[in-house]
Amino acid sequence: MKEVTVHPERCVGCMQCMIACATAHSQTRQVLTALMETPLPKSRVHVGAGLYNEGFPNRCRHCNPAPCMVACLAGAILRDPERDTVLVNPDKCINCAGCAMACPYGVIRFHEDSTAPPDKTVAVKCDNCDQRQAEGLIPACVEVCKSGALTFEESTDALKRKTDEVARSVSRGAEEMSLSPAFSLLTAAKRAQLSL
Amino acid sequence: MKYVIVGNGIAGISAAEAVRQLDPSGHMTLIGDETALPYSRPMISMVLDGSTPLEKLPIRSPGIYDDLNIETRLGNRISEIDAGRREVVIEGGKRVPFDRLLIATGADARPVEVPGTDLKNIYTMRTEAHVRHIIQTLPTVRNPLVLGGGLVGFKAAYGLLKRGLKPTMLITSPYPLSMQVDEVAGKMILDELVRHGLTVRVGISVKAFEGSKMVEGALLSDDSALPCDLVIAGKGVVPSLSFVPQDRISVGQGIFVDEHMETSLKGVFAAGDVAEHFDIARKTRWMNAIWPEAAMQGRVAGMNMAGRNVSYTGSLSRNVMRIFDLDLMTMGLANPKADSEYDVLNAHGFRNNLYRKLVFRGNVLVGAVLVNGIEQGGLLLALIQNETPISISRKKLLEPGFNFRQIMN
Repeated sequence: MKEVTVHPERCVGCMQCMIACATAHSQTRQVLTALMETPLPKSRVHVGAGLYNEGFPNRCRHCNPAPCMVACLAGAILRDPERDTVLVNPDKCINCAGCAMACPYGVIRFHEDSTAPPDKTVAVKCDNCDQRQAEGLIPACVEVCKSGALTFEESTDALKRKTDEVARSVSRGAEEMSLSPAFSLLTAAKRAQLSL
Repeated sequence: MKYVIVGNGIAGISAAEAVRQLDPSGHMTLIGDETALPYSRPMISMVLDGSTPLEKLPIRSPGIYDDLNIETRLGNRISEIDAGRREVVIEGGKRVPFDRLLIATGADARPVEVPGTDLKNIYTMRTEAHVRHIIQTLPTVRNPLVLGGGLVGFKAAYGLLKRGLKPTMLITSPYPLSMQVDEVAGKMILDELVRHGLTVRVGISVKAFEGSKMVEGALLSDDSALPCDLVIAGKGVVPSLSFVPQDRISVGQGIFVDEHMETSLKGVFAAGDVAEHFDIARKTRWMNAIWPEAAMQGRVAGMNMAGRNVSYTGSLSRNVMRIFDLDLMTMGLANPKADSEYDVLNAHGFRNNLYRKLVFRGNVLVGAVLVNGIEQGGLLLALIQNETPISISRKKLLEPGFNFRQIMN
């Protein structure tokens, strides 16, 4: 089964994944019309700034066992075994924030959402774009990512590639691993700024 | 293998599910006092405030016992554990033999011990049955009184306000939730409550209740009288362990358990509000009678009962609540005594009504209080639980922009 993999060293912090995510979870699924919707669609992936202002697209890891699921007082969080995705049932959610307290990554937000009953604040998190996947599309954040920080692939493939990269990097005479050029530049600039 | 689980709450049912995952064929008996399907105890206050109907409380489907192939004995508590014959005795005398036993009997509301508590309309709020009874009294109630500024008192008062009543809340401590928060956060909560029409009196308690059949008034510790026709007491809980043979099973505040949730008697486990585990932040034995602990402990106990060696390093106190427009999250050792062993950091943004407090022991985070901006609270909790040495600037953890990226390397 394919999963979204995050490659933090490649993220340039452009936040396009956030816009794509919000659009994918809007009612009209077009960015211009999505902006005029009520409730305003919001992203489920959150690009946070690191210590050197480097970006990182933080999203739900769909942990198993999921701490949010164990902590949920209302039994509103469940796992869809088909896509191994942890989902919130907005009808059952009581907005108690118990899941936010349990989530070790801080990826759950609370607001109104078009999938929830009107005027009800609920817990909102990544659903692996289950609707898009049912239509044969890949998750929106991956589709839009230009720097390769988000990929959609078999986790075994991703692991194998990473293992190979590490193996190569420790080989005698290995070249330094190449990061995305933009990221390398940004990081170098940020670190230089900090040391001034 | 004969499994017996005593307790029909979240710890008991989580354990039953874990056992069944690992042992599809062992015989399992579940004994419970409450006959309702396993339900969300923290949500009973939402039945009181009218936002959730009773039917929405169950957290498992009606077929759960059949699905897990469990024999149920509901409606009675147990009166004895016969450690020698390895049997539990249900009230009324029925004996059930066990190879592996889980005590997940939870806790009962602490009774108010003043004269006059036998009068009608004086309740505690612990079970769905309690809330059903309280709701039945509401049409005739004019002056409700809530005792205790803890979580239950709080939710009771909130529920009554939502029902259009004007409750009075009596708190013994100088500010509400004194077990959970520090003075700054406590005062912020108090202000929020008062702003919404609750009458709160601090530093005062009840000496006696008066009335002929129904409760009609309370005599207070300052010798004044207060008319009331409904009392909800939230004075904490006491673990239900009167049946435990204390010569065979070590008991402190609760039943002592090791990292496998096993008691001092081999093959007998305990989990949830009745168990006393090691507290990660306090570095001592401690009762953490909260829902997520009960769910986790039940699960770990179940796996160990079924023969898988799983350890649970310790429990941690924590709570989150939303009080009108205020979100409050507390975790670990949130309110340490003034002591050089701890470093306390504060940030207070009055404009956004933000408050954050972090407690460190050495370079390890051991406690936190957050008022508003609570979305990243789970990150802090994970840092406390894993005793992660904090290598980045501590001030970063206080900032609203704190996020997972900053603790990645």
